[in-house]
Amino acid sequence: MMLEHVLVLSAYLFFTDIYGLITSRNMVRALMCLELILNAVNINFVTFYDLFDSRQLEGNIFSIFAIVIVAAEASIGSAIVSLIYRKKKSTCINQSTFLTK
Amino acid sequence: MDLPGPIHDFLLVFLGSGLILGGLGVVLRINPIYSAFSLGLVLVCISLFYILTNYHFVATAKLLIYVGAINVLILFVVMFMNSSEYYKDFNPWTIGNGLTSLVCTSILVSLISTILDTSWYGIIWTTRSNQIIEQDLIGNSQQIGIHLATDFFLPFEFISIILLVALIGAIDVTLQ
Repeated sequence: MMLEHVLVLSAYLFFTDIYGLITSRNMVRALMCLELILNAVNINFVTFYDLFDSRQLEGNIFSIFAIVIVAAEASIGSAIVSLIYRKKKSTCINQSTFLTK
Repeated sequence: MDLPGPIHDFLLVFLGSGLILGGLGVVLRINPIYSAFSLGLVLVCISLFYILTNYHFVATAKLLIYVGAINVLILFVVMFMNSSEYYKDFNPWTIGNGLTSLVCTSILVSLISTILDTSWYGIIWTTRSNQIIEQDLIGNSQQIGIHLATDFFLPFEFISIILLVALIGAIDVTLQ
């Protein structure tokens, strides 16, 4: 009972944040939804590691690596968002359509 | 944590409802500061989930890193932006939004029906039979330490290089 409930919750979180990532006008909200997508996947990892044979699965370690990668990506994403805001003075996500200027 | 059955279920329902409301709050709130606080709520609920499944080290690491560092960073970035422009042209429902919600809901419903139809306990009982008893006496942090020092030593070093490169890159990008 517990496994299915946790899997359903993580699937719900995943799809809610995919919806938020696709339809958000704001760059920072897209970053936030991206964090939650990766978190939902981490919940799945640890739930399966909890209930299966823990000698051969290493979902625990992989979730730690995923946390570290998310931290690195969040820092670089925020740096890029601040740089874009500094140049364009607005955070609308469909304003920068070209790579130059 | 080996809690008795009803407390375990109650905590699961409580955290699950916090997760559902927080997830909706991140996506649907207009003011980005409120959605950043909803993000904090979701991350705290996820960390408490990890305590329920006996993984104390990963729960504490998530609390410190996600809520303590990444959420604070996102709040800083949100407050750095000028927020007076958000209330002018807020159009809550375009055709793209409706199409995306339709596609996401249909995939979610099919995934939930697949999860509820799979017989998980048949798979669990066949693979759980060869678990050594000594494995349960080692705590979670020691297990992670053993794995990281023996099997996963090379990815561990690569992760530290990735963090260093990300740090230098973020500083270099914003110093222009």
